[in-house]
Amino acid sequence: MKEFKYTWVFGLVATVLLVALPLVAFVEPDPAPADDAWSGVAPTPAPTDHSALLSGTFESGPQVTAACLNCHEEAGQEMLRSTHFTWESEPVLLPGRDETVTIGKKNQLNNFCIGIAGNWSKCTTCHAGYDWQDNEYDFSNAENVDCLACHADTGIYGKGEYGNPAEGVDLLAAAQSVGRPTRDNCGSCHFSGGGGNAVKHGDLDGSFTFPSAEVDVHMGRLDFQCVDCHRTEDHQIGGHMISVSATDENAIGCTDCHASAPHDNARLDAHVATVACESCHIPQGAVRDATKMAWDWSTAGQDLPEDTHTYLKIKGSFVYEENFVPTYAWFNGNADRYILGDTINPQETTLINRPLGAIDDPDARITPFKVHEAIQPYDAVYNYLLIPNTAGPGGFWTEFDWQRAFESNQENSGLAYSGEYGFAPTAMYWTMSHMVAPKERALQCNACHGEGTRLDWQALGYPGDPMEWGSRFQTIVGDAGE
Amino acid sequence: MKKIQQTRGPLFYLRPGVNTRATSGLTRGPLFYMSLAVVLLLAFAVLVDGGRVAAQEAEPDAEAAGAPMHPAIPLLDAEGEHVLSEGAAVSTMTTCGACHDTAFIAGHSFHADVGLSGLGTPGSPDAGLPWDTSPGLFGKWNPLTYRYLSPAGDSRVDLTTPEWVQLFGARHVGGGPAIYSRDVLPLTETTQAADSPETQRVNPETGAPEPWDWQASGTVEMNCFLCHTGQPNNEARTAALQSGAFSWAATATLSGSGLVEGAKGDWRWNADAFDAQGNVAPSTLDIQDPSSANCGACHGVVEMVNEGPVALGDLHAAEAWTTRTTGQVYSGERLLNSALNLEDKASLSRPWDVHAERALNCSDCHYSLNNPIYFEGADANRPDHLLFDPRRLDLGDYLYRPLHEFAKGQSAQGTLAPELDNSLRRCESCHDVAASHQWLPYKERHTAALSCESCHAPALYAPAQESIDWTVLTVDGTAAESWRGSGSDGLITGYEPALLARENGDGGMALAPYNLIASWYWIYGEPARPAPLRDLRAAWLDGDAYAPEVLAAFDGNGDGRLGDEELRIDTGAKEALIAGRLEALGLDNPRISGSVQPYSINHSVATGEWATKECTECHGSASRVTRPMRLAGYVPGGVLPTLLGDDSTQLHGELQLRQDGTLYYQPQTNVEEESGLSPLYILGHNSVDIVDWAGLFIFVATVAGASAHAGMRYFAARRHPPKEKAVRQVYLFGVYERLWHWLQTLVIFGLLFTGLIIHKPDQFGIFAFRYVVQVHNVLAAILVANAALSAFYHLASGEIQQFLPRPRGFFDHAFAEAKYYLQGIFRGEPLPFKKTRRQKLNPLQQATYFVLLNVLLPLQALTGIFMWGAQRWPSLTASLGGLPFLAPLHTMVAWLLASFIVMHVYLTTTGRTPTTYTRAMITGWDEVEVVAQSGEAKGVS
Repeated sequence: MKEFKYTWVFGLVATVLLVALPLVAFVEPDPAPADDAWSGVAPTPAPTDHSALLSGTFESGPQVTAACLNCHEEAGQEMLRSTHFTWESEPVLLPGRDETVTIGKKNQLNNFCIGIAGNWSKCTTCHAGYDWQDNEYDFSNAENVDCLACHADTGIYGKGEYGNPAEGVDLLAAAQSVGRPTRDNCGSCHFSGGGGNAVKHGDLDGSFTFPSAEVDVHMGRLDFQCVDCHRTEDHQIGGHMISVSATDENAIGCTDCHASAPHDNARLDAHVATVACESCHIPQGAVRDATKMAWDWSTAGQDLPEDTHTYLKIKGSFVYEENFVPTYAWFNGNADRYILGDTINPQETTLINRPLGAIDDPDARITPFKVHEAIQPYDAVYNYLLIPNTAGPGGFWTEFDWQRAFESNQENSGLAYSGEYGFAPTAMYWTMSHMVAPKERALQCNACHGEGTRLDWQALGYPGDPMEWGSRFQTIVGDAGE
Repeated sequence: MKKIQQTRGPLFYLRPGVNTRATSGLTRGPLFYMSLAVVLLLAFAVLVDGGRVAAQEAEPDAEAAGAPMHPAIPLLDAEGEHVLSEGAAVSTMTTCGACHDTAFIAGHSFHADVGLSGLGTPGSPDAGLPWDTSPGLFGKWNPLTYRYLSPAGDSRVDLTTPEWVQLFGARHVGGGPAIYSRDVLPLTETTQAADSPETQRVNPETGAPEPWDWQASGTVEMNCFLCHTGQPNNEARTAALQSGAFSWAATATLSGSGLVEGAKGDWRWNADAFDAQGNVAPSTLDIQDPSSANCGACHGVVEMVNEGPVALGDLHAAEAWTTRTTGQVYSGERLLNSALNLEDKASLSRPWDVHAERALNCSDCHYSLNNPIYFEGADANRPDHLLFDPRRLDLGDYLYRPLHEFAKGQSAQGTLAPELDNSLRRCESCHDVAASHQWLPYKERHTAALSCESCHAPALYAPAQESIDWTVLTVDGTAAESWRGSGSDGLITGYEPALLARENGDGGMALAPYNLIASWYWIYGEPARPAPLRDLRAAWLDGDAYAPEVLAAFDGNGDGRLGDEELRIDTGAKEALIAGRLEALGLDNPRISGSVQPYSINHSVATGEWATKECTECHGSASRVTRPMRLAGYVPGGVLPTLLGDDSTQLHGELQLRQDGTLYYQPQTNVEEESGLSPLYILGHNSVDIVDWAGLFIFVATVAGASAHAGMRYFAARRHPPKEKAVRQVYLFGVYERLWHWLQTLVIFGLLFTGLIIHKPDQFGIFAFRYVVQVHNVLAAILVANAALSAFYHLASGEIQQFLPRPRGFFDHAFAEAKYYLQGIFRGEPLPFKKTRRQKLNPLQQATYFVLLNVLLPLQALTGIFMWGAQRWPSLTASLGGLPFLAPLHTMVAWLLASFIVMHVYLTTTGRTPTTYTRAMITGWDEVEVVAQSGEAKGVS
C-alpha cells in the first residue's frame, strides 16, 4: 500500500475543485469599480535635501543656474525647449492661413495687458528666465533659465522686474530650498495671471494655496499638486491653454486618469461623447475670488475713483464676477488665433482665440469657458490691434498718453502706427479645467434639460432640448449637424 | 347651461369624430379654425422640413414648448362680451371656450368634480369614515382639514356649500360643486331653503344660519388659468374665494401680470395690456401646458429648477398638502443644497426626487388620458394580431377636447375617480427591473413582494404629519400636532415610511411605503358626526384665552398656559370636562374617536445608489418590513384609533401601546389567507421557534449521547485495555465512492454553515448575506448533482444493494449490532457484523441510510428547490404552502442532518483506532478482524 499513500491528496484536490469551480463560476461578484483613477497618478518622488549640496555665495540668478546645471546637466537644454522659457509655440498652421505661425506670449497679444512688447519689465516677472529686457534676449543661453522660480520655496524666492530675482532675495537660501514644484510655485504666476490674483483664468487663484474640497476636489479633498496632473518629463510640462497654444497637443484630459464611461449610469455615460467632463463637473468659476470678466481700456487715463475691481487709471474699467456661470461652446481642443497684424472689423467683437468645433464635429464637445470681453486699442487706419507701451519707459502707465504709447512701441511690437487709434471689442476664451467640484455638487440633469436654462440649445445648433429632440447622433430631425 | 356630465364610462369615447363635434353645444368661431390651421401648419412644417422651420418659428425648446403655440386671445366675460366693454369678470368658459370645448373639459375632470358626482349619504363611500359622503374633497372628511361638509338634513351644520368653496376652494380648480348643486343644478338657480346647506352659510359670530346669495357671489368656473399660465396668482384667487367673490376668482388669478389689478369689489382691467384687436399677447398671458409648478399649487412642494434652496414654508398651507401628509417633495435639488436643517446634510447628495432631477414633469406621467402622445389603449381592447394601433386621436381633436381626466395611480386617500385608478403607467411600465437589478438575487420574488417604492423611497426628508389631536385645542384654536422626522437636537432626520400591503393594478399584492397619520377628535350624535370646530372652540376657549374651567383642569404646573405635556386628555376627569362642555353646547353624547389613515408614497424616489440595497435591512431580526412606526406620543382619552384601510391599501398590523404611553403600528407579515396578501416568510427574519428549539434539542442530545458513549468507551478501555486483534486489510471503498463521499461531506458542511447564516444573519454579520445565499444555492446544486450521479452509479453497478436492508435476519442482526454498541464495545467484544466488499454496511447503517437517503436528503433537496422556485414558479411554491411552510421544514431537516453528522462522525471513531474508519474512507482500505473469517474477502482486486 505504500505506493498509494498520497493518492488521497489527489482526491482532496479533486473534491475541493469540484466545489470551488462551480462557486467561482456561478457566484456573481460585485461589479468591479468603474475605474481606478489613482492608477493615473504617478507616485510623488522622494525629495532630495539640497541644503548640504549648495554652499558659497551667489551674486546673480544665472550663477545659481550654473550651479544647478553642474549636476542637472540636461536640465538647461530641456528648459531651452520648454514653452515656459520660450513663450512661443512650435509653428502651427491655423485654419484659413497659408503659412505657419508661432503663438505665445512672446509674439502675440491678448485682451488683458495686451502684449509684452515694450513691457518686458513687468511682463517677464513671470518668465522662467532672467533678465529679458528686449527683443534681443538670448534664448539659447541655458544660464538664463530661472530654476528657482519653479523649484525654490516661494517664501524665500521671488521675482522682480525683467524676471530677475527680487530685491533682497537670499539666493543661497533659495537654492538650498529647491524641490518638486508645489502649487505655490506654479501659483506665483498662474494664480495671478493678468496682473493680480484671480484676474485671468477664473478657475485658478490664490484660494488654491489652501484649497477646500469645494474649491477643487483634486487639490482640495485629495491634496493634489499641480504637477500631479501637469505631468512633466524633461521639463516639458503637460497641459495646454488656447490662449497661447492653438492645437490640442500636449493636452491633459480627465480621462488620463478617469475611465471614459465612469458614471455607473448609462444615461450619464452617453453624455461623454457630447459633453466635456468639465461642463458638469465645473459648475461655476471663481468660487472664492472674483475674476475679471470684462476690461474696458478706453476709459483708462481718467481721474476717476479707483478700486481694484472696478476702475484703475492705468488700466481702465473692469467687471469682476464671482461664481460665474461659464459660457458653453463646442470645442474640439483646437482654437483659431488672432495673429499680430491681422485686420479686424472694429464694429464687431474680434475673437482672439475662437475655440474650434461645432455640433457636426464628432470630436467637439460642449465645453465650459470663461469668456473675457475687452475693449482694447487698435489702429484706426491699419485696422489691427495695437500693443501699447504701458510698463516701459514713457509708457501709458506713467504718461497716460496713448499716442506716445503706440508711437514709442512700433519697433518693439513690429506694428506700424498710423497715428490714429480707436478701441474695439474683443473676446478671449479661457478653458476651465480647475475648480472641479466634488461629484455631489456636479450639475444635475435639470440644470440644462427640462426647465433648466444653462445651455442655449438653439445657439448650440440643436432644434431643441435633445432630451426631447434626440442627440446630435440621432436622426429624429434629420442630420442635426447640418 | 348644460347639466354637468356625470357619466364616466370607460375612456374610449375618445375619438370625437365629426358627429360628436356637430352635437357639441358650442359653436366654434373662426379663431378655432385659425388656431387649428396654425397647429396643422406647424405640424406639417415639422414633418416636411426636419424641424428647422419649427425651430425657427415656433422655438419649441423645452421651457417654451407650447407657449408660443397659443395665439393672442381676447378675454371674454360670461356673456361672451370683451371684458373691457363692461369691466366684468373674465369667464374661462367663454374665453377658452372660443376654441376649446370647455363644457366637455369641465364635464370630464375629476379635478372639477372632486366628489360631487359620487356624493351620497353619510357612510356611502366604500372606504373612509362613517360620516363621509363622497370619495373626494367635496364630502370626504379629513381630520387634517377637520371641517365637515354637512349633508342635507343635519341639524347641526358645520360647513355649507358656499363655505366649502370659501375654505376648500384653495385646493379646488373650480367647476363641479362650485357651480352645481348636489342635485346638479346650477347653484345660481337654486332656491333659498332654510334647511339647505347649499343656500345657507353659518354666521361665524353667532353660529346662526343665514341665506347665501349665489347670484351676488357668482359661482367658480373651472379655472383654466390656474393650471395653464406660467405665473397664476393663486394668492389673489384664494383671497377672492375667501371673500366670497366667487365669479372673480379667475380674474384674480390673472392679477399681478399687468392685465388686471385690484381687490374684492374693485377689479380694473388694464386696456393697455390688450392690442388694438382686443387680444392679449402671449408675452402678457403665457398660456401653456401645465408645468409641474402649476400642479404644486395644490399638491405639495414642487420645485423644478434648482434656483436657490428649496424651503418648505408653512406645511399647513393648502398647497403643501402632499408634503404635509407624506413628506414628499418633487424637486431635482440635492438635499444638501436645500434650506432644511437636515442631519448629516453634507452627505445627502441625493435629489429630493430623481424624476424631477431627470426633468420629468408631473404631466409626463399624469397625462391627459386622451393625449395622443401618451395614451395607449389597453391591450385587451386591441385585437390579438395588433401590437400597436396607429390610428390615434388627431392633435387638433385633442386640443379641441382635451380630456381633463388625468392618469392616476391608486393611492390611499386618493379615492376620487376610482374608475381611473391605475390608468397611470407604473414604475415597471418605463423601467426594466431585470436590466438594472443584476445584483439582486431572486429578482422576481422581490418584485412580486415589494413595490419599487419600498426600496426606492427609503426615507422621506421633509417633515410629515405624524398625528393630529383635535380632542384638545391650542389657544389659537387649532389642534395639537406631532410631526415625523425631527431629531431631538432640532435637526431634521427624515423618517422611514411604513410598509403596508397594497393591491397593485395587476391585482398582485405588494408592500409599499406609506405614512400613517393618527388622529383623534370628538364625535357626537347618532349617526356620528365630528364636532364642529366652532363648538370645539366654544368648549375650550373664551375669546382668545382658555376658558378658566378648562385651564384649571389642564394646567398642571399652574403657569397659566398649557404646554405640550399638559394639552392632552389623559384622565377621565379631563375627558368628562370637555365632553360636558360640548354637551352643554347641544352636542349629543360627545365622545372621542380616532383613526389611522395611510398616505401612499410614490414620489421622492431615489436612484439605486440611495435605495435600500443592504440585504440584512430586511433579512434580519429588525427587518425593515416589520419595523414598527410610531403613531403618537400619547393616546388621547385612551381611545385606540381605528385603522382605516381602503380597497387598495390594507393595514394588517396591530396597534401597540407601549409602556411610556406611545402608540406604535406594528406591521404583520403573516395574516389570514382571505386578506389576499400572501404570507411572507423573510429568510433571516422569520423563524419558527418550536422548530429551532426542537432541532437544537435533537442536535444537543445527539452530541451529549455521543459524548457519553465516548466517555464510557474511554473508561472501559482504561479498565480493560483492548487486546491487539489480528486484522487484515480489505479494500472496501472504490475511488468513485470515496470521491462521492468526501464531496458530499464538503458540500453538506458548507450548506449547513451557509444555511445557518441565512437563518440567523444577525449572528454572522461579517458574511455578506447576498453571497452566502448564492453560495448556498451553488452548493445545493452540487449536492443534488452529486447525489444523482451516485444514485446512478449505485444502480448501475448494483452497489445499491449495499443500502438495501435484507429482510432475512435483519432484526437479529440489528439487535446484535445495537447490543454491541450498548454493551460489547465497552468489553472489547468483536463486531457482530463483518464488513466485506459485498456488504459494507451493517443493518443499523442500512436502516439509517435508508431513512437518510430516501427521506431526509430528498426532503431537504425538494424543500430547498421549491424555496428557490418561489421566484421561478411562485404558484407551485405557493401551492405547497409557500415559504412559511417550506422554510421551517427545511430548517428542521437541516437540524436532523446536522444531528446525523454528529452521530456518523462519532461512530467512525469506533474502529480499532479512532481514525481507522476515516482512513478507510480516504484510502479505501479498511481493517477487518480476522477472528471469524468469511470467504468474501477474496473479492479484492
